[in-house]
Amino acid sequence: MNYSLMPERREGPGDPMPKSPSPLEEGGGPRRPDTGSPDKDSLLKRMRKVDPKQAERYRQRTGE
Amino acid sequence: MRLFGIETEYGITRDDVPEMDPVVESMELVRAHLVASFERRWDYAGEDPHEDARGFRVSGLQQDREEDEFAQRDAHRPFSFHDMKSDLVLPNGARFYNDHTHPEYSTPECRTLRDLVAQDRAGERIVHRAALRRNKALGGAHVRLYKNNTDFHGHSYGCHDNYLVPRAVPFAALVTGMVPFLVSRQVVAGAGKVGTEAQESQYVPGGYQISQRADFMEAELGVDTMHNRPILNTRDEPHADRQKYRRLHLIIGDANMCEYATALKVGTTQLVLDLIAREAVPDLELEQPVAAVKQFSRDPNLKAVVKRKNGRTIAAVDIQTQYYESARRTLSGLDEESDWVLKEWSETLQLLMEDRQQLVGKLDWITKQWLLETFMREERIDWGDPWLASLDLEYHNVDPETGLYMGLEGERKVWRLTSDEVIEEAIRNGPADTRGGLRGLCIQRFPDQIQSIQWEQVQFACGLRSHTLDMRDFFDPQEVVRCVGIFKVAQSPADALAVWTHRKDGSV
Repeated sequence: MNYSLMPERREGPGDPMPKSPSPLEEGGGPRRPDTGSPDKDSLLKRMRKVDPKQAERYRQRTGE
Repeated sequence: MRLFGIETEYGITRDDVPEMDPVVESMELVRAHLVASFERRWDYAGEDPHEDARGFRVSGLQQDREEDEFAQRDAHRPFSFHDMKSDLVLPNGARFYNDHTHPEYSTPECRTLRDLVAQDRAGERIVHRAALRRNKALGGAHVRLYKNNTDFHGHSYGCHDNYLVPRAVPFAALVTGMVPFLVSRQVVAGAGKVGTEAQESQYVPGGYQISQRADFMEAELGVDTMHNRPILNTRDEPHADRQKYRRLHLIIGDANMCEYATALKVGTTQLVLDLIAREAVPDLELEQPVAAVKQFSRDPNLKAVVKRKNGRTIAAVDIQTQYYESARRTLSGLDEESDWVLKEWSETLQLLMEDRQQLVGKLDWITKQWLLETFMREERIDWGDPWLASLDLEYHNVDPETGLYMGLEGERKVWRLTSDEVIEEAIRNGPADTRGGLRGLCIQRFPDQIQSIQWEQVQFACGLRSHTLDMRDFFDPQEVVRCVGIFKVAQSPADALAVWTHRKDGSV
């Protein structure tokens, strides 16, 4: 087990909905993404699909 | 010797009925994991949550008024307690069951952070796949699962981290050494929450805080877990040889989505336990720890200071830094994993104060805040908008198709300590060097001969006789590996136990 590789960062955070692909990269451990740049709209689409009233309806019983 | 595990209660919803019955849905969810009918195997004789580590026994555990009313109705349900619990032990040694009204996945016991994170992630996939099967039966994607800790209406459910501790460490030392650390641990391990609430109290929208659980902490110490929740739970239920061990059962933690946060949460806590055992913890006793948990949580700018018993004040990051410094001085070079935790702990505390953007994808509360603030800018909404609580909830959805954290992970924007292959392997097998992995192996190899099973033992029915694999004091990794080797090739559990007993007794 090699803890010098732990964790393996595949991409910097950047903007979750970047206007243009801008993967950050740091020296050392982090590694450039091994696939293409993220779909710039997918997270925004995913967030917009969330029903604004979802939390209002969400009810649980008390747990531990 | 290190051994730890995480229990996670998942939030569950079903949207095709006017009012979901969480008891039935949690039962059905767990049973959806099965390909055959449910058979009761879990042995509850090993469970007794009424012993208090402070040296007394309580007659019962408290719950709030609302739960008292629910409990009266639950007593008249058309199924037994055991049917309701639907306890399963999985091939990786994990326990998957309905804990009250939430599907709960308890990882097998792990010795390394890498194994623990993999097993925790395995749990997410196991519960999600059970939901997919349940939804197939229901004819639509109606059931959803959330790895979070609040319903935004004053109801919380837990993610408990557990540690094997030598009984020789006095409980009073655990309290003194651990409480300031736990009060401030949220700056590393908080999952973030929109708004504020309290037990059975109205949710107040607006603002953002570091922790999901802080609002529900009401006591410094206590044996209860559903009411008057304590910073340090005093339940004395070791699930091991009581003469030799304690189990530190922490209920203050948030459920983490970020692998890095899970590793740091457990890794730093283990280091503090090591410091306590060496009597090397810093003296940081706080004047009002319960209030401090909330003050720290409600200050994501990390400026808040709280009063110490010595009259001085201190901020959360400074508490963590003092613990880190003690750990660095005392534990550096102990082993590779401890050194990794020290390095990442130090870097994280520094980045929290200097450049927290770099912690996006590492710490949940910062990742969630970053997501929400970006969305707020895009949609021109403010913290008072109810949409944000819904997005908060959706961050924790374990469905890779819809969950927000899962979306980030899919786009490779989070730090990983595992890979998909490692997680799939963790679903199939537990750690080969802990009794958790051995328990799972028993499930894989001899499922029909298991009469009963629990954390500490497996009882096999072998013809007219029963045989017991006693694991109350089975924590030496090399011994466990040897035993696993025997169980892997034995023709029967009786054969395996005979060979193991023979070798253990030194006859061979």
